[in-house]
Amino acid sequence: MTEFKRGTRQFWIPYLFLLPNVLIFTLFVIVPAVQGLAMSFTDWSVFSDASFVGLDNFKELFHDEVFWITFRNTLVYSVLTVCALILVSLMLALLLYQNTIFAQKAFRAIFYIPSLLSMITVGIAWRFILGDEMGIINFIIRSCGGEGVHWLTSGKLAMLSVILVSVWTYAGYYMIIFISGLQTIPIELYEAAYVDGASKWYSFRSITLPLLSPTTLVVSILATINAFKAYELILTMTKGGPGYATKFIVQQVYEVAFMEDRMGYASAMSIVLMLMIGIITLIQFKGSRGEGEHE
Amino acid sequence: MLKETRVMKKALTICLLLCCVLAQILANGASEAPAKKAEEPVTLSVLWFNDGNESEIFTSTMQDYLAAHPNVKIDLQIIAFADYQQKLKMMISGGNPPDVARMATADLTALIDTVLPLEGYADVASLEKQFVPSMLAYAYNKENKLAALPTEATANGMLVNKTAFKNAGVDVDAVSKTWTWDQWAEIMKKVVAANASKGMKYGLAVDFTPHRFSTIMYQYGGHFLNDQQTAMQFDNPGTIACLEWFKKMHDENLIPKSVWLGSENPAELFQAGVVACHIGGSWNVNTYKKNIANFEWGAVQMPKAATRSSVPGGKLIASFKGCAHPQEAVNFMVAFADKDHSSNYDKQTMNISARVDTNIQYASNAADFNVFADELKVTPAFTANEWKNPNLSKVTGYAKEQIVQYLMGNIDVKTCVTNVDKKGAGFFK
Amino acid sequence: MLVVILFATVALIPILWVALSSFKPQSELFSIPMRVFPQRWTLENYAAALLRGSFPIYFRNTVIVSVVSTVITVIINIMAGYALGKYVFPGRNTLFSLMLATLMIPLQVIMIPIFLQLKRFGLLNSLWGIIIPPAATPTGVFLARQYMTTIPDSLIEAARIDGGGEWFVFRKIIIPLSKPIIATIAIFSFMWRWNDYLWPLIVISKNDKQTIQQALAGFVGQLQINWSNLLAMTTITILPIIIVFLAFQNFFMQGISAGAVKG
Repeated sequence: MTEFKRGTRQFWIPYLFLLPNVLIFTLFVIVPAVQGLAMSFTDWSVFSDASFVGLDNFKELFHDEVFWITFRNTLVYSVLTVCALILVSLMLALLLYQNTIFAQKAFRAIFYIPSLLSMITVGIAWRFILGDEMGIINFIIRSCGGEGVHWLTSGKLAMLSVILVSVWTYAGYYMIIFISGLQTIPIELYEAAYVDGASKWYSFRSITLPLLSPTTLVVSILATINAFKAYELILTMTKGGPGYATKFIVQQVYEVAFMEDRMGYASAMSIVLMLMIGIITLIQFKGSRGEGEHE
Repeated sequence: MLKETRVMKKALTICLLLCCVLAQILANGASEAPAKKAEEPVTLSVLWFNDGNESEIFTSTMQDYLAAHPNVKIDLQIIAFADYQQKLKMMISGGNPPDVARMATADLTALIDTVLPLEGYADVASLEKQFVPSMLAYAYNKENKLAALPTEATANGMLVNKTAFKNAGVDVDAVSKTWTWDQWAEIMKKVVAANASKGMKYGLAVDFTPHRFSTIMYQYGGHFLNDQQTAMQFDNPGTIACLEWFKKMHDENLIPKSVWLGSENPAELFQAGVVACHIGGSWNVNTYKKNIANFEWGAVQMPKAATRSSVPGGKLIASFKGCAHPQEAVNFMVAFADKDHSSNYDKQTMNISARVDTNIQYASNAADFNVFADELKVTPAFTANEWKNPNLSKVTGYAKEQIVQYLMGNIDVKTCVTNVDKKGAGFFK
Repeated sequence: MLVVILFATVALIPILWVALSSFKPQSELFSIPMRVFPQRWTLENYAAALLRGSFPIYFRNTVIVSVVSTVITVIINIMAGYALGKYVFPGRNTLFSLMLATLMIPLQVIMIPIFLQLKRFGLLNSLWGIIIPPAATPTGVFLARQYMTTIPDSLIEAARIDGGGEWFVFRKIIIPLSKPIIATIAIFSFMWRWNDYLWPLIVISKNDKQTIQQALAGFVGQLQINWSNLLAMTTITILPIIIVFLAFQNFFMQGISAGAVKG
């Protein structure tokens, strides 16, 4: 890590490296974000002027039963999905980052493709697999004499189905990130451990995992953020149903903003969402073992 | 120090380059301000959403108009229906509304304050006489000014698997002329049993929308709002009777749970022969005609409880306050909604006409359309008034969710309707 | 090995369903008993999707946007990631947290402010409007930063001692070592822009500037879905991304830092 003293010309160098990104980012993301979030203190229907209401939106939010249902759903979904995703994608990455498997590139591509599909396609494809009446799985079960499983029409199973499909969709995406991280680990470390008689599990635990921790942190944080923002995939598969079983915060935000025409209230919800994600992200940062620097 | 100077120079160069790019864009942006002279060529921005191929039929229908007005061009942009209202709201609040947009009744109701009243741009008095009242009702804004023109009408109705009825020995065309929902239930049990070996499992699939649900609700004598449409009144005997019936049908497996409790598509279930009846609407005729080959199907009259009813719906075309070319836009709209263009369009898209003076000769399925037209005729007028109420449109989503909660058994029927009324009260103040 | 094949099968089945169904005539899609393979193979869906409307234009737009934005994204993200990962300076953590924080905002809430901002800069209805703003993606910067922290400081010091300025260090040491992450960001960025739906929805209101994803979404109507067109177009749409992905695979070379440490 390099630190330049104030007052030297070099001091400005990191800022210059950052400048293009930060400039664009500030203009087109930060400024609108601040404006959007400021709306949470107003009552704003898209066509009338915003009227300042202070903390009223938040007070209402506190008592909003539907919101807290979506809050709980989002939390459950995110925790389970992120854990599953990290496990699965890491496993896939471990299997596919060295040239030990035939047609490795093809396999990587196969796992990666699901994340390329638009959410509409994914939702629809899985509806055809998991649907009660029209689903392939139930069709097979019935042909064997069984009774169909209510993958998408029973509350708990719907949540499970949604988690599974999310993992299916994104495992390949995070696998790629893990692969690039795994490749920064020098082989000599493994060779040395092997010579010393270490088992595979031991190498994994004491070489791979620690050196992979910056990457693991990225995956964990990105997966968390994306899980909390889950919307389109769930919408196409279950529309938030049955009932409220798979309704998550962003769906509620969207409906309140555009169907009930209450942008201010929706904005307040988003702030709560942000706080929730922020807290969890912070926990993850603190929990990670710092930055995995060599030597 | 030399190296640092080089670094600084390189960094500055990058910055300058970026600034140039930005300036370039700003310059481009500024010079794209639209010219507003009437004689100059005009490009109308048209926003559209598709269900099938309406946009193609639209453009081909209007070819003669464009040929007659060579200075007018259209830039047609197709937006996904799910994002349509969002997109419009964004463009409007950003000061860039499109010149012309196809509007579903629900969207028009939500955006009625932003739509351009036609007074001063067209002969409103004459236009008002040309369209069916139930569709025209959607086109008036709060000041009671006409602000849109109907282009197609739809009716909710029941499509049935006629072959399935035949297999059970029931002449559905005869029976349906007088049947009630109770009679229907008895008949369906026979029909499903007779066709079970062919994969049929259920009697009826109802689209998972409050609009379709309200069809049956109206047939039970229920309603959403009070008589003057000034307050929610979902809690009424007719609605409660309908909800109880609806739940009973689910519990007795005459209606598949996967539609309202999952998101299986009723039209798909119908086409696969899993369900014998489908409460959808006139728009299904086109798709079923294309896709169903292995059984006979058709539209039949819906059962009644207290009364018969359908729900009017359809599409309109509108322009917006603050758009770039209002006069040209209105001219275009009036042309599209006139007798020739409208009937041509409706005929090809297989929709019901919204005009009073057209008698469309459909290429096929005329009998089915007669059934739908018939249903519309017996539909009470207040149904349109309910569905065009902007405050109701904000509550229907919540109502749907409460109905699902009731179907799942999580709440009882009284809680369901009072919850909806409570929510609605917030919007009707 | 077996495990991989098992998972791969699970991964593939839905995709295969989509691809195979795109060759079925629409009437076959909802028949029971379900069939995997089309009874009657047909290309009518592809013909309809390709010939209808302005498919070539949408394709061209999407390609331009994806390629140009990816180039910009890689450059500015790597630079920013390097700064955040390898330098200590005031405001570093605040900036990083701010970037991450914005990732947490659902885009729906800030759609309208973004629209107004883009309008102010004249970026509406311009491909630049979907190339530039999303290029500063926090995800890319985050990935780059994490990767940068794994590059040994000793290499950087060595290069400095050898008389290189900061830019020299960046060009000659960091960039070659960053090939895996450059490839990763490039693949992701291409995919994000190729699949981007919300940004074009906000920015583009003119037919000739639309992208493929907008066209795809247009097939989902109010009352029914245009399956045949949707499935065929979906299959076409994922091909370029797969090609880009396979092309960049070569950058995922094993043991690249090993060579650097030795040397």
